[in-house]
Amino acid sequence: MSDAMLVELEGVRFSRGEKEIFQGVDLRVPRGKITAIMGPSGTGKTTLLKLIGGQLAPDSGSVRIAGQDVHRLPRRELFRLRRRMGMLFQSGALFSDLDVFENVAFPLRVHTDLPEAMVRDVVLMKLEAVGLRGARHLMPAELSGGMLRRVALARAVALDPELILYDEPFVGQDPISMGVLVQLIRKVNQALGLTAIVVSHDIKETLSIADYVYVISDGQVMAHGTPASLDVDRDPRVSQFIHGEPDGPVPFHYPAPDYFSDILAERTGS
Amino acid sequence: MSLVQRIAALGRGTLELLGSLGRAGVFLLQSSLGIPSREGWYLWLRQMHFVGVMSLAIVLVSGVFIGMVLSLQGYTILVDFGAEEALGQMVALSLLRELAPVVAALLFAGRAGSALTAEIGLMKATEQLSSMEMIGVDPLRRIIAPRLWAGFVSLPLLTVGFSVVGIWGGYLVGVEWLGVFEGAYWSGMQGSVGFFDDVGNGLVKSLVFALVVTWIAVFQGYDLVPTSEGISRATTRTVVYSSLAVLGLDFVLTTLMFGELG
Amino acid sequence: MKRSKMMEFGVGLFMLAGILGLVFLGLRVSGLGSGISGDTFTLYADFANIGGLKPRSKVTLAGVQVGQVADVELDREWFEARVTLKLDADLEGQLPRDTTAAILTSGLLGEQYLGLSVGGDPDTLVDGDTIRDTQQALVLEELIQQFVSNMVRE
Repeated sequence: MSDAMLVELEGVRFSRGEKEIFQGVDLRVPRGKITAIMGPSGTGKTTLLKLIGGQLAPDSGSVRIAGQDVHRLPRRELFRLRRRMGMLFQSGALFSDLDVFENVAFPLRVHTDLPEAMVRDVVLMKLEAVGLRGARHLMPAELSGGMLRRVALARAVALDPELILYDEPFVGQDPISMGVLVQLIRKVNQALGLTAIVVSHDIKETLSIADYVYVISDGQVMAHGTPASLDVDRDPRVSQFIHGEPDGPVPFHYPAPDYFSDILAERTGS
Repeated sequence: MSLVQRIAALGRGTLELLGSLGRAGVFLLQSSLGIPSREGWYLWLRQMHFVGVMSLAIVLVSGVFIGMVLSLQGYTILVDFGAEEALGQMVALSLLRELAPVVAALLFAGRAGSALTAEIGLMKATEQLSSMEMIGVDPLRRIIAPRLWAGFVSLPLLTVGFSVVGIWGGYLVGVEWLGVFEGAYWSGMQGSVGFFDDVGNGLVKSLVFALVVTWIAVFQGYDLVPTSEGISRATTRTVVYSSLAVLGLDFVLTTLMFGELG
Repeated sequence: MKRSKMMEFGVGLFMLAGILGLVFLGLRVSGLGSGISGDTFTLYADFANIGGLKPRSKVTLAGVQVGQVADVELDREWFEARVTLKLDADLEGQLPRDTTAAILTSGLLGEQYLGLSVGGDPDTLVDGDTIRDTQQALVLEELIQQFVSNMVRE
């Protein structure tokens, strides 16, 4: 086990029902860097994050965080380990019955015995960092999608975690809030020196902040490398994904019988 | 479908049912056990408000009407036998033994149970439960347990309320309107209602119903498929399963409690 | 938070109302506190048939409730029902020795209860005495049978 790696996945297999989602994924996330996991929709990128967070257990293989095998830990230890992680969900996943301030204060209240004044200081500090100190009395329902994610980011870093997992942070954002989020993720990472895993299929934004990229397709790691090396990768599958071409090795068409005979079949009524 | 396929489907269905029952059992144990903290107390209080106080209006209004109808129907039957003095007894016994526990539980399933399922389901669909887990807080303790306990305490209280207003409604119609002698209404009741036999058994019934209805509601919410269709289906299932469970269990409990009384 | 204070108040009120409701059901509806309260004394009475008389049935004198049936058991020697009565302690030494006890029915189909009527004996009943003169319960079927057989005979 090398100390430079915070998260290590080894031969992870996972299937949901009949469908095999991962067929032996190996992945290493270096400490203090932003690692991106990319791939077309439906390749189970969110599932991968849930495996890392210990919310799902793999069929075989192991996930180690800082040397601890996540799925061998007793429930209590697992919850302790999670305090050192933060996760930003796709929808933000703010608690809808708490206002912005209380949402950010939540991890502090449940895991620390800080006095109220200190909680207030920390929360305001985190909210200031995402630029939403003025919105602290709003309820989640009153926020826009981009603001929700910024609050969720403030909550995820409230306990100053070592590792932060981003689940599709850029999906469905207008260009301005996308830019804000890109900048925030980079800034948070630099300021706190933490390790980040970004799961996304927004290529341009992700490549602009990632130090290292894994591309996943068909349940396997298809390619990995620095953004610059992937950009010039010769593999047609990689190049199709990175450059966003509509058709190629990943077909545009869902598997179907021959077009011509399919149409004729309806005519003859057989 | 061939016979073999049918048998296979039956077997699969049975296994799924057993699996779901097992999950529900583990779920109940994991969420109801554990040491309540100061914070847990407060969470419980909030749910008591949501589950209990908010259901009070519908339960009380229904109780008054049921008591009034019972009194009216009972009077027309009893007056033929010249036994209208037995009106109080009839109203009180039907309410305490059957109608209050059953109707209050059905109303509770419709009002609070479906709301619990939808609320927890929405939390699951918007990843709030997942994010709570990732923050290192067990949602079974934090979200499910207070709701379970609130339901368990609320329904018996609501049932008592239902009986009281029902007896009052019966009094309004029987005594104030139809002119049954007031003393007879109360003394007939007191002569035949036993505190432990009738009030007590009614309470035991409502405790059982409370456990079952709340359990079904929170489990359906926690176990649902996190899509809008999944939530609406689970909400329907909560009401259907709770109602069936309440009526079925009522028969079983009645046989156990009052069977030998004839 | 003001809202949470209101909520706490509401929940408190809700639980208090529930408990008061239970007290109401106990006292007013099932009559736990009424009937005989305080001191009582015990009398016994033997009946050939007690009909539907049960423990907790009321005992009246001139229509006023003065006590209740505490226990009903079978006398194995005479095969009669032995009823234990708990009466208001004020009545001890007041009821004449030839007081009669009858099992009566309130209304046509109502509850059965035990009615006492006093005689004129100067001696009085005290704790543990047995009422000698009793009148058994009327059983509807027997009445009808008598009535029908009388009709046939005429």
